[in-house]
Amino acid sequence: MTACVRWAIAVSIAAGAFGCATVPQNRRAHFADPMMSITGEPLDAARRQKLYDTREGAAGGDGAAAGGGCGCQ
Amino acid sequence: MTARSQARIALAGVACLFAHASVRADDTVPPPASERAAIDAAILGAPSSAFHVDAMMTRITSFDQSGHGYQAQGGPTAISPGSERATIFEPQVEVDASQGERIKHRIVVPIDVVSNASADAIDVVSNASRHVEAGSIDWATTYRADAVSDATIVSGLHLENPFRSWHSGLGASHAFAGGDTVVSGGFLEVFDWFDRFDIHGARFGRTDRSSTTASVGVTQILTASTIVNVNYGITLQRGELGNTWNSVPLTTFERGPEVLPDERLRQALVARFAQYLPWNGALHLYYRFYTDDWGLIAHSADVELMQRLSPDVYVGAFYRWHRQSGVDFFTTLAAPDSGLRTADSDLAPFDSQTIGGKVVIDVPLKTATVRALHFEVGYDHYERTNDLRVEVFTCATGYRF
Repeated sequence: MTACVRWAIAVSIAAGAFGCATVPQNRRAHFADPMMSITGEPLDAARRQKLYDTREGAAGGDGAAAGGGCGCQ
Repeated sequence: MTARSQARIALAGVACLFAHASVRADDTVPPPASERAAIDAAILGAPSSAFHVDAMMTRITSFDQSGHGYQAQGGPTAISPGSERATIFEPQVEVDASQGERIKHRIVVPIDVVSNASADAIDVVSNASRHVEAGSIDWATTYRADAVSDATIVSGLHLENPFRSWHSGLGASHAFAGGDTVVSGGFLEVFDWFDRFDIHGARFGRTDRSSTTASVGVTQILTASTIVNVNYGITLQRGELGNTWNSVPLTTFERGPEVLPDERLRQALVARFAQYLPWNGALHLYYRFYTDDWGLIAHSADVELMQRLSPDVYVGAFYRWHRQSGVDFFTTLAAPDSGLRTADSDLAPFDSQTIGGKVVIDVPLKTATVRALHFEVGYDHYERTNDLRVEVFTCATGYRF
């Protein structure tokens, strides 16, 4: 239990430290690269998501619609 | 060293510090909004309130599936797994458009042509899914309230032979800390209305279900080359939660209907991580934890490594691993009087793996109408431990205007 609390505190401090460090606008050039898109190109992400949603019973819950379409789940 | 020399050195040091501080200040303090708007207008031209198509993307994907599942009939005996053979051809079109400087539209039209879906099962009788053509339209409109806040309305319609579906939703996001942190939330409602069949292919009117989803997420820029995203969502489904024609092998060597609860609560937590690599590459990591009240627990993780070969070309390699526990009432042989039961291979315990790759080419053009061309080809191989394989080929072309 104590170890868990220590880990939680360490993670909170690390997250807080990262959150405080502002990255200037003119140093965000890498994020404009299509390779760095956090969710990927929309149609590519959609076709991959559909592959999993219609074949694995673990769809939905993450903001994407669950159910609908020929997937039926 | 004389006192005068020491003073000169000290002054030079202070001047250097001020110079460095002024550079940092230029880095961190963006110009005022009015000045930014003037700069944007000088570079991009004055904003117009007319409807303007910014980009268009087309993609064609084929899914070639083979394998067997106990929910499908047509095996060598009544209780043997039947074929899950299917080929799916999916063209997609996406149009991004702007209407003035505050409104953006994204319209996506995917079309599915499913052939030979469970052709050896009840479709011999009903043809319910021997050949299915399905089309959707999804429309998302985003209104930028100010430099840090926006709201999105989504709506859509899905049509296929025995199935109708409508969805609509709302979302909003707000940026903090100079855009380093973006908090978002959304709500989505889906209503499905579809034909009810029995396991012998006879049609019994229509049935329906609803799916209500709420989600919240945070995207955080950690460093100049690292970004993370965490998203939590919860979905409540009610109504007929199966396709109505799935069957279950019985101990009497016959087949009976699938019996599912009429409610399902699903939750998922997703974490994404993207790191730019110094050799012009990018590393993406993804993890998803899923649980629901049918007893299914799933872990999914993937890694994608991309490498830029030239300013216009990059390649990517992808690997995904998924493990799910299966629902509490999954069975491959049920008693005739059993309560809840399913033999659906999608709800079984299994592991799956996907391995894939892609080549992407972005060609900048110096024409008056088209600013860039986009080409992409990709391949994925998906394989499950309970006898299912899918080969996926995809090809995309895009235009940025």
